[in-house]
Amino acid sequence: MAEKLLEIKNLKQYFNQGKPNEVRAVDDISFDIYKGETLGLVGESGCGKSTTGRTIIRLYEATDGQVIYDGINVHDKKSKKDLKSFNRKMQMIFQDPYASLNPRMKVLDIIAEGLDIHGLVKNPKERKERVVELLETVGLNREHADRYAHEFSGGQRQRLGIARALAVNPEFIIADEPISALDVVSIQAQVVNLLKELQEEKGLTYLFIAHDLSMVKYISDRIGVMYFGKLVELASAEDLYKNPMHPYTQSLLSAIPLPDPNYERTRVRKSYDPASHNYQDGEEIAMREVTPGHFVYCSTKELATLQAISGSQV
Amino acid sequence: MKHDLQKPPASSFERIEIDSSHAERISKPSLSFWQDAWLRIRKNKAAIVSMFILAFIIIMAFVGPMISPHDSETQTITHANLPPKVPGIEKLGIMNGVGTLAGKEVDLYEMKKVDTYYWFGTDGLGRDMFSRVWEGTQISLFIAFVAALIDMVIGVAYGGISGYYGGRVDDIMQRIVEILYGIPTLVIVILMLSFMDPGITAIIIAITITGWIGMSRIVRGQVLKFKNQEFVLASRTLGATDSRIITKHILPNILGIIIINTMFTIPTAIFFEAFLSFIGLGLQPPDASLGTLINDGYKLIKFQPHILLYPSIIISLLMIAFNLLGDGLRDALDPKMKD
Ligand SMILES: Nc1ncnc2c1ncn2[C@@H]1O[C@H](COP(=O)(O)OP(=O)(O)O)[C@@H](O)[C@H]1O
Ligand SMILES: [Mg+2]
Repeated sequence: MAEKLLEIKNLKQYFNQGKPNEVRAVDDISFDIYKGETLGLVGESGCGKSTTGRTIIRLYEATDGQVIYDGINVHDKKSKKDLKSFNRKMQMIFQDPYASLNPRMKVLDIIAEGLDIHGLVKNPKERKERVVELLETVGLNREHADRYAHEFSGGQRQRLGIARALAVNPEFIIADEPISALDVVSIQAQVVNLLKELQEEKGLTYLFIAHDLSMVKYISDRIGVMYFGKLVELASAEDLYKNPMHPYTQSLLSAIPLPDPNYERTRVRKSYDPASHNYQDGEEIAMREVTPGHFVYCSTKELATLQAISGSQV
Repeated sequence: MKHDLQKPPASSFERIEIDSSHAERISKPSLSFWQDAWLRIRKNKAAIVSMFILAFIIIMAFVGPMISPHDSETQTITHANLPPKVPGIEKLGIMNGVGTLAGKEVDLYEMKKVDTYYWFGTDGLGRDMFSRVWEGTQISLFIAFVAALIDMVIGVAYGGISGYYGGRVDDIMQRIVEILYGIPTLVIVILMLSFMDPGITAIIIAITITGWIGMSRIVRGQVLKFKNQEFVLASRTLGATDSRIITKHILPNILGIIIINTMFTIPTAIFFEAFLSFIGLGLQPPDASLGTLINDGYKLIKFQPHILLYPSIIISLLMIAFNLLGDGLRDALDPKMKD
C-alpha cells in the first residue's frame, strides 16, 4: 500500500494516573495510517476512541508512546513555529454539532478562525471570500456567513465544522463520530458523502471514529476495533466484515441489522465475554498478524487456531 | 369522468425538481445573543421600570445638589429642624412646612420667619436635606459601583485563572478561598476598620475584601464548563493561544453571567455600606452617605421623621430596582438559569 502518514506506537493515555480513580482510557495501542486512506475506529461508547483521537492531535499529552507524523514525533517538545505548522496539517471534526460551534460567534468568524490564527488572508475582503468559498465547498452559501450557529440544523452545523477544519488546508482529519448526533439517515449520508468527496478532491487522510460498524463500512478502507482502551482487531474493511476473528468484533457485527429478511431471520446477537478467552497466567497477548494485513489481539495459542481456521477456508 | 385507478394517466403526475439550495435556506432574521436578550428584556415591565427609576436616581444624585437653592454644608442655625416645603405641592396640604411643635401642628416656616423653601426640610444644624440626601446617594452609589467593579475584576481574574489552569494551581487557590470564606466577613471588617482610618477607601476595602469570592466561584465554574467544550478544543487544534481562547471563546460566553452577578453585587454593596455606617463603622462626618443619613434620622424619628424618610425611600428604591433589573437580566441573558 501507499506510504505511511502516521505511526502510532504504544500510545497510552491514563487519566488521574496513580490515583485511585485512574482511568486507562487508551492502553498501549499501535497502528499505522497510510496516506490517502480512511481508517475507521469503532468500539462501544467509553472505550477510548475520542481519547485516542484527541491524544493523536495533542489535545491531551500522551502518558506514554509515540505519534509519528510524516517521520516527526508529534509529542516531542517543539518550537512555536513547528507547532503552528503541525496544527495546520492535522484537524478534527467533533461529535456534538451543538457544542462544537461557539454560540457567540458568527459563522464568518467561526470558519475564519484558522485563517486568522495562521495569517492566511490579508484583508477582510479576502477573508470573507475565502469563507464563502469554504461554505460553498460544504454545500452552504454566502447568506449563511452572517448567521449564528444556533440558527442551523444539526447536519448544517456538522458541515460548518468541516468547513472550519478545511480552512487551514489540512492533510489529515480526525472525524470523531461526526454523524452519531444526526438522527436522520439521509443527513448522515450527506455528511459521509461530503467527507468522501472532499477526500477524493483534496487527497485527505481520515481517522473516522464511530461507535457501531454500520456506517463506517461505506467510508473506511481499513477498520480498527477498540475494546476498553485496547485495539483488538485491525483489518481491511471487507476482510473485517467477511471474516471477523476476534469474538468482540463478531459481537459488534452481529448487532447490525440488514435490510434482508432472510438474513434477519437467522441473525443471532452474540455477546462478548472477555473471560471466554481463558488466558493462562504469563501468556503474552498482543496484536498478531493472522492473515496478511489482518491483525488480532490474541495469544500465540489463539493465533495458531485462527490461522488454522482461516487456512482451511481458503 | 371516470379514472382508472389501476392505471393513472401519465399526465396526472407533475414532475417536481428539488432544489437543494432551498433546503439550506434560513428565513428567520439573524439575531445576535445580545439583540435577542434585548428583545426579551424589553418585554419585562418590572426591569424596564427599574431601569428608569435607577436612571432617575443616578441623574438626581448628580443634578440634585446643583438644582437645590441651598448647599449641603451651610449651617443656618435659625433654620434648623424645618419640615419639607415645596412650592406648588404645599397647596395640597402636604410638604407645606407644617410640623408638630409641642404637640400642636404649626407652620414652622412662618414661626421661624423663613421665607425660602427647603424641599426635603433641614436637619438639626439647619443644613438643606435635599442637597444632603442626593449627595449621600452619590457617595453610596460611588462606593457600591467601585466595590462591584473591584469584586468583578478580582473575582473574574481569580476564578478565571483557577478554572482555566486547573490542577495544582486550582487546588491551592481554592484552599485559600475556603479559608477566607470560613471567617465571618464582619469579623474581618471590624478588625480592619479598627486600624484603618474610617472613610470611603476603608469601606470599599471592607466590602471587597471578601466580596469577590462569590464572583470568583461562579466564574471558575463557568470556565471549567467551557474550557472543555468542543468549540474550545476546535480552536485549540487550530493552534489558538490561551489568550485567544480566553478572550474570543470563554469570556464572551460567560459575560452574561458576570453582568448578572454584578447587578446583584451592587445592591448588596449599597446595603452593606449603609449597614456599616448605621452601626457606626462607616463614614464619619462631614461625609454623608445614605447609611449615615438614615442613622441620623433614626435618632430623631419621633420629632423629625422627614430626616429618616427620604434616604430610606431612596435606599429602598435602589435595592428593589437593582434586584428587579438583575432578575430581568438573568431571564434575558441566561434563559436556562431561570429556575
Ligand atoms: N478528561 C478525562 N478525565 C478523566 N477520564 C476521562 C477523560 N476523558 C475521558 N475519560 C474516560 O476515558 C474513557 C474513554 O473515554 P472516551 O475516549 O471519551 O470514549 P469514547 O470516545 O470511545 O466514547 C471513559 O471511561 C471516560 O470516562
Ligand atoms: Mg467519543
